[in-house]
Parts: sequence; C-alpha cells; structure tokens
Amino acid sequence: MITASLFNSFSMPAFLADPSAGHGEASQHLAQLAEHAAQHPNAGPKWVLLIVLLPVLGFVLNAFYAAFGNKSKIPAWTTIALLATAFIATLSMFLSYEGTPYTVQAFEWFNLHYGDKSFVANFSFYIDKLTILWMLFVTGLATLIALYASEYMSHDIGLGYCRFFAAFCLFVFSMACLVMGDNMLMLYLGWEGVGLCSYLLIGYFYKKPSAVAAAKKAFIVNRIGDLGLALGVYLTFVHFGTVQYSELFANETLHTYINAAATGDFSHIPAQAQWIALLLMVGAFGKSAQFPLYVWLPDAMEGPTPVSALIHAATMVTAGVYLIARFYPIFLVSEHALPIVAWIGTITALLAATIGMAQFDIKRIMAYSTVSQLGYMFAALGLLSTTGAAFHVLTHAFFKALLFLACGAVMHGFAGQLDLRKLSGVAWMKGWGIVGVTMLVGCMNLAGLPYITSGFYSKDMILAEAFITPGYRMIGWILVFTAILTAYYTFRVYFRVFVGPQHAEPGDEHDDHDDHAHGEEQNHDAGPHGDHHSDHFHPHAPGWAINTVLVILACASMLSISLAYIQKAEHHGWVGSMVAESSASYHSPYAAEAHYAHVEHTDMHPVAGPVGTAAPGKVFGMDAHAGMILVSGLGAIFGVLVAAYFHGPKGWQGLFIGGRTESDKCRMDAIARRAGPLPRLAENKWFVDEIYAAILVTPLRIISHIFHWIDKLLLDGLVNLFGFLPRVFAWVIRPSQSGVLQGYAVSMAGGLAVLLFVVLVIVMNSGGAA
Amino acid sequence: MSQQTVLLLALMIVPLLVALRIAFSKNPDTGYRPALITSWLLMIPAWKLIADFDFSQGATTQFAYSISWVESLGLNFSIGMDSVSLLLILLSVLLGPIVVMASKTAIVKDKRMYYAWLMVLQAAMVGVFAAQDLLLFYICFEFTLLPMFVLIRKFGSTNRVAASVKFFLYTFTGSMMTLAGMVYIVWFVAQPDQLGQWTLDIATLTQYASNMSMGEQTWVLLAMLAGFAVKVPLFPFHTWLPLAHTEAPTAGSVILAGVLLKLGTYGIYRFAIPLAPTAFFEYAPEIAVLSIIGIIYAGLICWVQTDIKKLVAYSSVSHLGFCVLGLAALNVTGFSGSILYMLSHGLSTGGLFLMIGFMYERYHTRDMNTVGGLASKMPIWATFMVFFAMASVGLPGLNGFPSEVLCLISAFQSDAAWSAAGEPGAWGSSLGPWFAVFAGTGMVIAAMYLLFMVGKICFGPLREPEDHHPHDELPTDLSMREIITLSPLAIGCILFGLQPTMLLDAISEPVNNTVVLVEQANGLESAPTRVDQMIEHADEHHESAATPDHHTPEGASHE
Amino acid sequence: MNHLVQAIDSVQLAQLAFPSEMPATVLAPYLFVSAAMFAIGLIGFLTRKNMIIMFLCTELMFQAAGLALIAFGRHHLQADGQTFVIFVLCVAAAEAAMALALVVLLFRHRESLSASAWKELNG
Repeated sequence: MITASLFNSFSMPAFLADPSAGHGEASQHLAQLAEHAAQHPNAGPKWVLLIVLLPVLGFVLNAFYAAFGNKSKIPAWTTIALLATAFIATLSMFLSYEGTPYTVQAFEWFNLHYGDKSFVANFSFYIDKLTILWMLFVTGLATLIALYASEYMSHDIGLGYCRFFAAFCLFVFSMACLVMGDNMLMLYLGWEGVGLCSYLLIGYFYKKPSAVAAAKKAFIVNRIGDLGLALGVYLTFVHFGTVQYSELFANETLHTYINAAATGDFSHIPAQAQWIALLLMVGAFGKSAQFPLYVWLPDAMEGPTPVSALIHAATMVTAGVYLIARFYPIFLVSEHALPIVAWIGTITALLAATIGMAQFDIKRIMAYSTVSQLGYMFAALGLLSTTGAAFHVLTHAFFKALLFLACGAVMHGFAGQLDLRKLSGVAWMKGWGIVGVTMLVGCMNLAGLPYITSGFYSKDMILAEAFITPGYRMIGWILVFTAILTAYYTFRVYFRVFVGPQHAEPGDEHDDHDDHAHGEEQNHDAGPHGDHHSDHFHPHAPGWAINTVLVILACASMLSISLAYIQKAEHHGWVGSMVAESSASYHSPYAAEAHYAHVEHTDMHPVAGPVGTAAPGKVFGMDAHAGMILVSGLGAIFGVLVAAYFHGPKGWQGLFIGGRTESDKCRMDAIARRAGPLPRLAENKWFVDEIYAAILVTPLRIISHIFHWIDKLLLDGLVNLFGFLPRVFAWVIRPSQSGVLQGYAVSMAGGLAVLLFVVLVIVMNSGGAA
Repeated sequence: MSQQTVLLLALMIVPLLVALRIAFSKNPDTGYRPALITSWLLMIPAWKLIADFDFSQGATTQFAYSISWVESLGLNFSIGMDSVSLLLILLSVLLGPIVVMASKTAIVKDKRMYYAWLMVLQAAMVGVFAAQDLLLFYICFEFTLLPMFVLIRKFGSTNRVAASVKFFLYTFTGSMMTLAGMVYIVWFVAQPDQLGQWTLDIATLTQYASNMSMGEQTWVLLAMLAGFAVKVPLFPFHTWLPLAHTEAPTAGSVILAGVLLKLGTYGIYRFAIPLAPTAFFEYAPEIAVLSIIGIIYAGLICWVQTDIKKLVAYSSVSHLGFCVLGLAALNVTGFSGSILYMLSHGLSTGGLFLMIGFMYERYHTRDMNTVGGLASKMPIWATFMVFFAMASVGLPGLNGFPSEVLCLISAFQSDAAWSAAGEPGAWGSSLGPWFAVFAGTGMVIAAMYLLFMVGKICFGPLREPEDHHPHDELPTDLSMREIITLSPLAIGCILFGLQPTMLLDAISEPVNNTVVLVEQANGLESAPTRVDQMIEHADEHHESAATPDHHTPEGASHE
Repeated sequence: MNHLVQAIDSVQLAQLAFPSEMPATVLAPYLFVSAAMFAIGLIGFLTRKNMIIMFLCTELMFQAAGLALIAFGRHHLQADGQTFVIFVLCVAAAEAAMALALVVLLFRHRESLSASAWKELNG
C-alpha cells in the first residue's frame, strides 16, 4: 500500500485544467521579462560588475601578500573591506532594481556560430530579483564571516592566513558567478569554482591526512553531481539552442511545454526536454548534499569553522536550491523531476536528522542538521513552493552560520574540543556569555520554536505546502516528524554543552578536529591555550570580532521573522516578492485554492491523493497553514522538552525536567545502552560511507587494477608479441645462413636456375599459344 | 616570396642551422645558451606571423610558398598555413624556450647532442604543421621520431632503451601504413579519369579523394588511422606512450605530450577526414567508441598508479580521447572543441610534466609512495601543481574547460536517436547522448585521479626518500628560472580559459569548411553557405540568436 | 651538332655504324662463348675457396654477360647493349679496386685467403 502510493506520487500531479489559473500566466509574464532582457542585452549599469570584480581583486591581493610573506592581519582587513564594498554594491543593486531583469556583460567568453545556430555564453551577468536575494545574503554573510575569521584564523598569521583569505575571496567570486551568471556555463563556472574553493578550504590543514581525504571526497562527490549538471547544460543547448537565461526563458518551445505540462499532459513533451531537469537535479543533489550524494558534507567539517559556516552551511550548499529555483520552468516540464526532488529532499531530511541525533561532535551535528535542512528546502521545491525554499534558504543561512560560528568559538577557545561529552556549562564561563546567548538564539531558530523564531516561519511554509499540494501528505508527516527530531538534537547540544555544571576538557591539538595543527613549526603551547596536559586549562574566550559577528547574526536571525510579514498577502512575505518576478516564480494553483478556501470557506473538490482521500489543504480539519503552526510548533516544543529531559541539567537550566548533574552522565546514556544496535548504527552514520566504499569505491579500484594489468599484460603483451614474432621467424631461418660463402653462391645460382626455368616455361607456353 | 614566408621558413631553417652549429662545436657541454637564445628569438617571427595573419580568411592557406622539386612526379616543397596550422605552430614555438629552460640543470652530460637534437625537433614540428605537400608532411612527421628517439635513448631514465625502441618501432610501423594509404590516394588522383597527373598537393588531393569508392576509402582510412591512431594514441594502441613518457627526459615528455601527440589528431583532422570523408563518416561511431573506452579505461588506470609520471602519461591517453571524440562527431562544435583540446592539452599536461620534472630533479624518484606532502616544503611548486592539475581536470575558467564542453556537446548533437524529437540540424553520424554520458564520466574520473595525485604528492605529511639530500644547484622550492619556465604556460591556461572565443573565431572558417566537405561527400543536406551566415551572425548575433529557431514536430514524444 | 645527336636514338646510331643486322647464325658462336665463360666462372666460384680466385671468377661472369650484351646489340642493331657494357666495365673496375683491398684486409686478419676462414659470419 505504502509502496504503491510512493510510486504513484513519483509523477507530477495534474495541474488544474485552466492554465491561466496556474503557472501559465506566470510563464507568460516570465517570458515577457526574459524577452525584455534578451532584447536589451548588456543594458544594466556597469558598476554591477564590481560585485564580481572586488572579490577577484581580493584574491589577487591576497595572493600577492602570500607571495611576499605577509605576516600581519592585512589580508583579513583587505578582504573584509572589499567584501563589504561588494555587499554595499549588492544593496544598491537591490535598491535600484526597477522590476525588469537586465544583463551586464564583462567580456565575450564563448561565441561560436555555425549554420543557423550559435553557441553563445558570455562572461556576463543576469540580474533579477532571485539573483539579488541570493547575492544579498552571500555578500553580507561573507563579509561578516571574514570579520569572524580575521580573529579565528589569527593563529595562522604568516602561515596560511593569506592562503585562507585568497581562497575565501575566490569563493565569493565563484559564488557570485554562480548566482549572477547570465547563462548556464557561467553558472557552471561558479559551480565548479565554489567546488574548487571548497576543496582548497576543506584541505586547508593540508598536513592532516583526514583533511586531505575529506577535501578530495568533497570534490569528487561534487564532481559526480557536476557531471549531471554539465550534461543537463549541454542537453539544454542541444534542445533549446541556447544556454542564456534571457533567451531560454523566452523560448517559445519551452512555453509550449509549460502550457502542456499545466494541463497535466506530459506526453507531448519530448523526452529530451524532460531529461534536462533530471540531469540538472543530479547536479543540485551533489552540491547541496542530498541523498545519495550527501556524504561529503559532514567530512567537509575538517575545514576551518568559518569555512564550514560560510561555504558548507550558508551559501555554497544552497546553490542546488538556487539551481532548481532558477530553472524552475524546465523542472515544471519534466514529469518526474519535481516529485523526485520532493522525495529525495524528504528522505535526506529524515536520514540526516537520525544521524545527527547520535553524533557527539557538535560540528558534525551541525553538518548533519545542514544536510537535513537542505532536505527541507528540496522538499519545498518539489512541493511547488519556491518561495518556501528560498525563505528557508535565507533564514537557514543566518541561523546556521550563527550556530557554526558559535561552535567555532567553542572550538577556538577549548583547543579544538568538539565532543559534547567533554564540555558542559560553557555559557556560564567568564567571557562566554555572548556565545551562550547567541547559540541559544541559533538553536531556537533551528528547532523552529513557534512565533518567536524565523526558522519556524520558513519551515511552516514548507510543511503547510506538503498538505496543500495533493499527493504529498506523507512527505508532510515525515517532515513534521523530522522537525521534532531536529528540535531534539539541536537542544541536545545546547543542554549538554552550554548549560549545566561547568566543565571543560581541552581538545587534543593533534586530534582530528584540531583547527590549529599547522605543523611543528608553530609553537602552540606558548599561546593562550596553555598546556592542555596540565591541570589548569584556561579557555580562550572569544574576542570582539567573534562576539560582534555572533551578535549581528543573532539579530539578523530574529529580524528575519519580519520578512514573513512584509507583503504577506500578495506574495507570502518579502522573500515571496523577491521570488515572484524571477524564473522561480510559480503560483501553485493549490496554494491559491487553499487560500480561497481559507478566506471564503468555499467547498473544494476533494482530489484523490495517493495517501488517503483527505481534502488537500486541510490538516485536522484546519487550513494547512494554521494546522501546521499548531502541529510543528507543538512538535518543536516537544522535541526541546525531550532533549531537556534526557540531556538537560538539573534545575531551571534544564527546564526543571533535566537530571544531569555531571558533564557526561545523562539519562540518554541508559536508554542508548538498552536500545540495542540502533544508536551505534546511527552514530556510525548507518554505515553509508562504508556501504559506498564496499559497493562503489572498492569495486572500481579493483576494476582499475584489473585494467592496469590488462594494459600491462594483454595489450602491451600483444604489442611485444608482434615485436617478438620476427625474432621467432629469424630463429627458424637462421641456420640457412651458414657462413660458407659457397653456400650462398649455390643458393644464388640455384635461385637463378629456378628463375630461368620458370621464364622458359612461360615463354614456351606463350609461344605454344601463339 | 613574401616577408612572412621568409619568417615561416626561418622557423624551420634557423633551428636546423643552430642544431648544426651546436653539433659541430668542439665543446661537448655547449648548447644550452645557443638553444635558449634561438628558441626565444623564434618567438619574434612567430609573433609577426600572428600579427600578419588574416584571421577573417582563416581557411585560406596564407604565406604559402612552393618550389617545384621533381615536376613529373608532382613533388614540391610547399609550405603555408591556415589558422589551425598557425595555432599549432605557435604552440610548438611557445614550448621551445620552455623545454630548453627546463633542461638547464636536468641535462648534465652530452649537452651538445641534446640541444642539437632538440633544435632539430623544433624545426620538424614546425614543418609538419606548415607542410602543404603530402610528402613534406610525411617527411617532417617521421622526422620528429628521430630526435625524440635520441632524446629518450640517450637522456632517459633507467628503462630508456626499451622505451625508445618501442616508441620508434610502434609509431614507425603505424606511419608506414599511413604512407601506403597516402600513396594510394596520390595514385588514385593520378589516374586519367581523375586529375590525370601526379600531385602531392593536399588541397588538390582533397578535391578528388571523395571520388574513391567506399571500399577504397575504408582501406585508405584504415591505413591512415594506423599511423595517426598510434600517434594520438587511441585505445588500444597506446601502450608505447606511458613507457616513452616515463623514460623520456622532462623536455621530451613536454614535447611529446604537447605537440607530438597532436600530430595524430591533426593528421586525422587534416588527412583522414578530408581524404576519406565517406568512410570516416561511416566508421565515426566505432572510432568514438574506442575514444570513449580510452577515456574511461586510461582514466581508471591513472587512478592506481604510483609512478606520478605514468599517471600523467595515462591521463594524456584519457584526455586525447575527448579530442578524438570531438573529431568523430563530425560537426562544428566537435571540430572546434577538438582543435581547442589539441592546444589546451599541450599547456596543462606540458605544465604537469614540467612540475614532475622539477620534483624529479630534487628527489630522483617518481614514486608517490616515497615522496609526498611537498606543499609544506615547496609551497610555490605545490601551488603550480594544483593549478595545472585543476587545468587538467577541466575547471571552468581554465583551458581544459572550453574544449571539453565543446567535445561533449558535439557528441550530444550528432544524434540519430533523438533527431526525431526535434533537434534542429541533427544530421550526422549516430553518436548520441550515451556517447556524451560515458565520455562525461571521464570528468569524474579525471577528478579522481588528479586529486589522488595532488593529494599524495602535495598534501599530507611530508615524505622524502631516505637518502635525500638537497640539490647542489637548485633551491628547495622553485628557482626563478623554473618559475619563468612555468609562467607562460600558466598564463596561457588562464587566457585560454577566459578567451576561447578568440581561438574559436580564428578556427571557425577552416572548421566550417571541413564540415561542409564531410556533408557534401556524404550527400547530406548542408546548411547553405555556412560561412556567409557566420559572417552575418558576427555582425548581429544578438538579434539572430534571440529568435527561437526550432522545428519541433508537435506530438513527437519519446519516452 | 648537338641537336643532331639529340635527334637520333640508339637504333639510328647503330645503323650509322653498321650497315645491316648481324644474322642469327653469326650470333650463335658469340653466345656460345659467352655461356661457356659464364659457366666456367660460376663453377670456379662455387668450387674454389681462395678468395682471389673467386673474385676472378666473378669477373669472368661479368665479362660473359658483357659479351652477350654486345652480341645482342650488334644483332638487333641497337647501341644500348654496348653502352651498358661500358657501365659494366666501370663497375667491374671499381669493384676490383674495392674487392682486392678487402681481400688484403681479410688476409691480414686470418693469414689465410680461404673463404672458409670467415665461417663464423653465420646467422
């Protein structure tokens, strides 16, 4: 039954018969906008290029600093200044945007004309509201995190400081290309560029084999996704004849398809067109760490924490969401793509949450929670709610960056300690108040506590959508369940690390999670960390830069609640208004209908969804949004209470239900002991890495070795055999060369005689004939 | 004889004269300085040639010069260049000073012999691309073998004798068959019902070659591929390459990877396709399959290598697979991509071989288990290494990307399976999406082995051979000379990656002509006067590109 | 004069020298002598081991061929045969110089003129 319903739900539900009610209208609007941009190429103001150029300048300057062995904080200040300028430029781009997309060209990149076709992909940028939305938080967060890193990375001044900021700037540049590019090849350039920077930054501590391995893994797993993306791009060109957004979104063929899809009839859309979305989707799964390509992200935590915050939580991993949102028209014309996206997102959300529950490394917990939250965003995309996805991207960017940076502060202060069993009551230590408070804000947002957190609003939008769009109820319930798990594992960290009796074991400088193991030449023992082998360890409280950034981010997380209320009626909030006039713009007919139902209490025709026959848009008989506020709000509180009970300290700090008196003894331990192998399985990430190694990596390596031997023995052997054959032949006829001169003469004379004889015979025969 | 022709001749003759001068000098240790100065000075005529080349008529043979040699047999000494030849000549000339500079400390004895042969090689490489006459091409083609043989045989590492012999015999055997095929064409054209007189002029031969019957063309194609496929090298004729690369001195490897392998793909582009257009069209899918097998097979072999030079050598096999795939697609994107690949591979793989050479000079081992983690000791070296590895991976913005994109698109485009689904202009051989998908896995595999290499040799804890001691003349990290050696390649990689359009424009006319030639030979509907349209496009490409132009038959569904 | 020489081919040249063809009956003895000389040379070459004798035998065979060429040339009234013989004589002279020098060198190595002294030059 459940399997059957799963299968049913893997195809797109039919839209309402009237295309003008659904995305038909939106598609025409989009076509007009895109056509405007296509007809006025390169019409945008040139200063927009600054957003891309400034990070490049930062990269070049930092490379120079590195070449000249700079040993100061100048690289950090340069980076911060340039990125802040880029942010201001983005802001002014936002403020000066006039409602129509435009393009700005830097220079020609690909320009190949042949026959009646042309392959044009210039180094130019396409600015619409989706671009602006993404660039706002990318440049903003990058500036803040650069400020944070200026302090965080200060141990490496003169060693890797310049390298760090060079790669950091390169990352911002790549991300800008990814988001702002006006064609799919620019997107691909950014896509691979952020992959490279991710590789360089994960492998920042390049002497640690684990960091190198993690970097390699990230790049290669991403590359699998990139292959999908690349093929999708090529197929787009082959099918639509262009890779430029303005032409693509104005493409008549595409709009014919969209209108066909709106009637639920996919049989007239060529398979080639439908495959594009499926291929692009693979790329999105890779970059945004979705199942089955999520395995690289937790390992990516080998990188310095600012990197984890910026790249592996806030910006780069949302590129997949951007990709799908940007090419939403193409996804709409594929029958299976969006349902697959929804299900993969859901599965990822659940799977990562279960793993996150059992981890002890707080940074890894955050990593898995990132994977899980990205799953929510993908589910939202699959559920036809680009607004929900984009809103969650935005809020998640703030609170997840905040969480990572807070964890990073802990790691920085406690010599790389990340094990939640070895830390307790950090918030009460001297100088750690700000970290404690901001961490609490972050945790609340991630858990989605009702009304007071921005995470709640964005998550609610996604959850409600699952009940509004027919056929996805099951996804809705899975996501609600995941939300409870999220609240639990988030506050598990908070209750264990930040409250309770004060206790801290410093980390091992040379263990896996050490940020500062930068080689023997650096003498850490003299630093403020103190000698951690001695009994009196003094944690190194964060300085002003770290605290400032944490406070700003906490404020941003809370303030983004207001975004849900700006323009709520027209567009589901400010983010909706940003999404509305871009290629991601999509008015779900179901959402519209649900809202009518909400407002006018009209009766809707119940659609027979795969799961049950409940009317779409109703949860417990309530409107989906209202229902979800109740369900997910209560779920989040329930999750927090469970965490408090099992991990919270005694007294008010544990909400009076916790029972932990020591740093590492809590009620959960006893349960985990009795729960059999399950916690161990979860702690070992369901052995997914090992399974991949067993079914993919090892066989591939064996095949490679076999190929190697085939090459050596068979192919080269054949070649050598051909070289050997003449030798064998020579060996056979060698005795005939006796060395006796007369022998040669006899054979020559004999040969001559035979020849004469033959000639005579021929002559006589021909003479006879004549 | 125009001034440019003199310069082109100078590119061939001056290195030969310098080679003679070096060879007959009394001091056996001489050679570096004259070779260096010559190779730098050769940049001047090369620069002048680009400046004077009329790129708007890229397909026309420019700066042509021809002296009759044996008139009755049609033997000429005839040179000239179209834009494809020009670019490959530039690559050869650019690599000249680089390989000379890279050899300064690597070659310690018999310098006279080394540099003399290097100069001869330089002349032969220019000659092979400048030849407009079949015989001259063939002579230069074979004459690249001899210097390379000597470089490997005399200056290679431990297993050099076997490597040089295998290199020479394998490629020579192949090219003998190429000669047979070429002679057949010449004979065919000399028949009374064709031209009726002996000629070796490539352009003339091309005109008549398509008159050959399918059977004749097939044999001619096989004969020519015998030589060119070995040279490329196309799977399964590649086994000489890893050995030759591993044993060759650094300069030899750079030239081998940078230019000599391109002789194979250039030969296919310039001879095999125009001279046997119908047969090549017929067998393009098979050739493409071989190239794809090569991409995956060689890529996976790279992944399990411990000898770093062997790894890069096999990566050449894998990369050149893309190049041949583009040629087998027989369309504009494919040819453009393939020619771009010839140029770009020379830069990035040449760079990788230089990096390995610099490392080898310091550590005298190529075993990645013995030496590694060099980033902490040689940061500049490691930076360059990562850079060239990324260029080789095909990172967008660097040189590998444009060519790879075009080659893969071309495989997608020439598609029979989906042509019914409305792909405009989907004439062509039966390459198709699956070709692109399988070739595309090469991208992932390339990332696997190159990052495996970088991870081992650059990153991780420092590993050095036990008996390692610092080099007498070389600093720990790269010296200024070595950085100057690398810089042109690195800058080239970036420029190439950011400005492929320049190159695409330059080669568009010859490429279009070749496509038209293939289409006409196969009786395919060819877009009328492609070249005219192209010029039109160049003026107003935004407007023309903006009009959607798709003849999608409604209701054609393929699911 | 020069153009005159160019204008006539070898047949005309022979006709200028000789009024008429040589009859086949006259040709036969020449050929007989030629064959006999060739046979003597061949047998001598095969049976003797002294390198100088062997060399002389090859010369004998050369001259036999030359004689046959001249005879045929006269028979057919063509000058080609005689032209060719002049070539053969030149080659033979050059050969003699080379071969004798070689024989001397070989003798110095082995103190023997026997061809079998160099038997180890086998395959």
